[in-house]
Amino acid sequence: MTTVRTPDPPVAPKAARVPGSPDRPAGRRRKSQPEAFAFLTPWLLGAVALTIGPMVVSLYLSFTDYDLFTSPKWVGFGNFAHMFTDDDRYLQSVKVTLVYVLVSVPLKLTVSLLVAMLLNTRRGGSGFYRAAFYAPSLLGASVAAALVWRALFMGGGPVNEVLAFFGWHTPSWVDDPQFSLASIVLLGVWQFGAPMVIFLAGLKQIPAELHEAAAIDGAGAFRRFRHITLPMLSPVIFFNLVMEAIHAFQAFTPAFVIGGGRGGPADADLFYTLYLFEVGFQDFRMGYASAMAWVLLAVIAIVTAIVFRTAKLWVFYDDAGERR
Amino acid sequence: MRRTSERRTLVALAAVVPLLLTGVAACGSDPGGDGGDVTITFVWWGSEGRANLTKKAVELFQQKNPKIKVQTSFSAYAAYWEKLATQTAGGKPPDVLNVDTRYLAEYGGRNVLADLNGGAGKAISLADINPELAATGVYQGKRYAVPWAQNTPAMLYDPAAFTAAGADPAKGLTWDQYADATQKVSAAGGFAARGATDFGILDTTLEIWLRQQGKQFYTPEGKLGFAADDLRRYWQLAGRFRDAKGASPADVTASYNTSPEQSPLGKKLTSSEFAYDNLLPAYQKANGKPLNVAPYPADTAGNTGQYRRPSMFLAVSARSPQQEAAAKLVDFLVNDAEVGKIVGTDRGLAPNLKVRAQLAASAKGSDKTLYDYEAALEPKLGAAPPVPPKGAGAIQKLLQRTYEEVAFGRMSLDDAVSRFMSEAQKGLG
Amino acid sequence: MTVLPRSARSAGRHVLCLVIVAVVLYPLVWLAFASVKPPDEILSRLALLPTRFVFDGYTKGWEGAADVGFGRFFLNSFLVAGLSVVANVLSCSLAAYAFARLNFRFRGALFAFMITTLMLPYHVTLIPQYVIFQQAGLVNTFVPLILPKLLATEAFFVFLIVQFMRGIPRELDEAAIIDGCSVYRTFWHVVLPLSKPALVTTSIFTFIWTWNDFFTQMVYLNDTEKFTVPLGLRLFVDTSSESNFGAMFAMSALALVPIVLFFLAFQRLLVEGVSTSGLKG
Repeated sequence: MTTVRTPDPPVAPKAARVPGSPDRPAGRRRKSQPEAFAFLTPWLLGAVALTIGPMVVSLYLSFTDYDLFTSPKWVGFGNFAHMFTDDDRYLQSVKVTLVYVLVSVPLKLTVSLLVAMLLNTRRGGSGFYRAAFYAPSLLGASVAAALVWRALFMGGGPVNEVLAFFGWHTPSWVDDPQFSLASIVLLGVWQFGAPMVIFLAGLKQIPAELHEAAAIDGAGAFRRFRHITLPMLSPVIFFNLVMEAIHAFQAFTPAFVIGGGRGGPADADLFYTLYLFEVGFQDFRMGYASAMAWVLLAVIAIVTAIVFRTAKLWVFYDDAGERR
Repeated sequence: MRRTSERRTLVALAAVVPLLLTGVAACGSDPGGDGGDVTITFVWWGSEGRANLTKKAVELFQQKNPKIKVQTSFSAYAAYWEKLATQTAGGKPPDVLNVDTRYLAEYGGRNVLADLNGGAGKAISLADINPELAATGVYQGKRYAVPWAQNTPAMLYDPAAFTAAGADPAKGLTWDQYADATQKVSAAGGFAARGATDFGILDTTLEIWLRQQGKQFYTPEGKLGFAADDLRRYWQLAGRFRDAKGASPADVTASYNTSPEQSPLGKKLTSSEFAYDNLLPAYQKANGKPLNVAPYPADTAGNTGQYRRPSMFLAVSARSPQQEAAAKLVDFLVNDAEVGKIVGTDRGLAPNLKVRAQLAASAKGSDKTLYDYEAALEPKLGAAPPVPPKGAGAIQKLLQRTYEEVAFGRMSLDDAVSRFMSEAQKGLG
Repeated sequence: MTVLPRSARSAGRHVLCLVIVAVVLYPLVWLAFASVKPPDEILSRLALLPTRFVFDGYTKGWEGAADVGFGRFFLNSFLVAGLSVVANVLSCSLAAYAFARLNFRFRGALFAFMITTLMLPYHVTLIPQYVIFQQAGLVNTFVPLILPKLLATEAFFVFLIVQFMRGIPRELDEAAIIDGCSVYRTFWHVVLPLSKPALVTTSIFTFIWTWNDFFTQMVYLNDTEKFTVPLGLRLFVDTSSESNFGAMFAMSALALVPIVLFFLAFQRLLVEGVSTSGLKG
């Protein structure tokens, strides 16, 4: 139902291990406990009735024309063909979403890592900053925050005025196709607190001796960052990257509110999810919307797979160190 | 024993939670009729001021029909269609609903709206409605809606600004004179505010402009009634205003969203805007200055292309179990003299000619402006074009989007024209 | 590398941090002041502080939009969020216990499936789910918003609680089992109380996410009387003129208050407790 959002309460980045199997000696394994299914009943019901079932149905619908009022009409690959050959707005929505993901995710992660490093001192006193930086992550997804953002970036609003003070006269950001998406990207970056907290926890795990030893060997701050911090932090970066990317692909509320509910000026804020909503719930083209959903799923799966594949090259797991 | 007690707790929880949910569902669903009373829902679009008037009319209806309870709700134009779409998808459209001519075919064609020629619709009298107006609301032989008011596409403007620029739109301008005047108005304000809201995005203005040349937006068969070249010339005309800075800059144009309060004229960013004559008070309230209403600019005098427009319709849901009560409300809102007095010209002129005549005699203030305007224009007004085809609502947005591409300089005029034509043709199927 | 005196570096760090704090909190401070500015000052004056404090926005906003008072929207939001919390904590902890502690067939496969659903875009199930609820006549009720929580479809929380339960020493519940407790009792009396921090985290985040949720509520709720706070705020955008900005921002500010309160109350738990316990692995 709800989107997979950034897990603000950070979870073990390297976790997803099947519990029980690897960390328990095989000999101690007990026999199957049928009571387990009593505990699992709600989840199983949900998995079947609200996840697997609907997925199968939506896969079927994606090959049909379906308007909710008359029964679905089989159209084969028609929806998919239309999407890529005959629908400019679809392609626009793909473009907008890709730009958003490719710009906002790296930007957000960079900012959060830099701020996390700034806060990562051995002396205390950063609790206040951490809390202040984290707050937007909780508030930013709301309609209220998006409304504030819209006002801040409107013609004659504070952002216009401040930039004009520095001699840069910009149009109303939210109403200009060149700037509109940028304001939404900034709303995303504003919520850098969640990945920052996770980075901070990761940074604290890096043994201080490593840095000290390297400093004694004459390594400068940048080299220590490059050769100690980055590799040691790579599992956390990996985790943040995956979660933020999945999150960004599904952004809806900011685009809907800031784009005035219609995809912004000249469709500059026509996010994939926004177009999907419009197609499904405004034009009643449920078949086409289902097809769009499956393409989104495929893209997210492919991107995740690529990230996981390449992870071997740059994610460094120091398992021995972690299980002290 | 204790073992069973825990199990009981779990069982109890399992039992209570669904109960809680159905409880929520129960208070969520509409209250059923208690003691023979009937509850119907009624929705419309518009501003808060309009809502207050409409609610007064509904109250009067409830007084006269104590067994019928009416639940009302309203939202702004764009949000209204968004919400109606989800409501319809959910299987429960409101019993009585406000429909725009752009969406009549869409909802009528989907059998969301009841055919008022028969059944409960017989209770709605069209006897005293202006016959030309009464002929509207019919799509493919079925009466899906009855006209609720009559308005006319018109220009709303700030007379002080235009007088200062030496122009009097009320007397009728040519397009050249209008272009010239808007440029002067902009220049007088240092180009901060502009003379006109860029009309390249407005489907109604395109329609009027086409009519001035003997063409139409949609053919009776539901196809586009104009060619690529017509659209190109229309956008070139708009481009002249834009390039001379007589019309709003692109970012202001893009902020237009059909509600008077948030339109450039309403926000004091321009001094004139094409809209409908009945919106004068709403615009005036938003703008704060006295505004006036004028006919469309035209190059041949007397051929302004304007017409008697069913400004909005009332329709009854085909799925409503309370169609009789719904039809009763529709008849009341369309024909009752007291309702006419309450709502005034907020939606336009009363559709019932008897009521209209009574009101015209006693009209005051902006109501009088409107009656005078319509009376002066009456002989020149044409009949309303046929019901636009399914997809007209989407074409309204398409026109806005593609023109924005041009205004922001992101697309050449020719590309935008061909984009519009091909998408519009696809959309109309 | 130039080595600055420690105090100078620390002062520099604080200055930098304070600058970032100012930028980050600016939108919130702006909102707080905008909500008490006279309407014509909200957009036209750059100054943060109003020339005079006006509370019309709050009184006008509280009257609501489209005939429904804002109190109603708050009530609805609290109802939906509250029930979601109860439903989520219950269903997710049940499933999590099975995954964390019990042996059963297909456990590995089911767990892997649950992890996969973490990454599933909800759009893939959106339309069929909508059709199901529509056919069942449940559109325009709160059921489509709460039932999925009752059926633990938010895999993230199952995962969170599994992770936490795995950190609880096994000896504790194994001892209970050896003493003759059923798994049900062990769950209820031993594991669940020990999982309290995870359950609290689940509750807080379920509340905040549901409170902020816009899409699902927009799709499923139609009648204005059933609108939640985000939908109510949207009404202001649509029907109001600039003179109504005050009401819109006043209600926006109010809409954020519950989250801010939660944040202040549970700040340590949210930011610190979980980040370390989560990363322990």
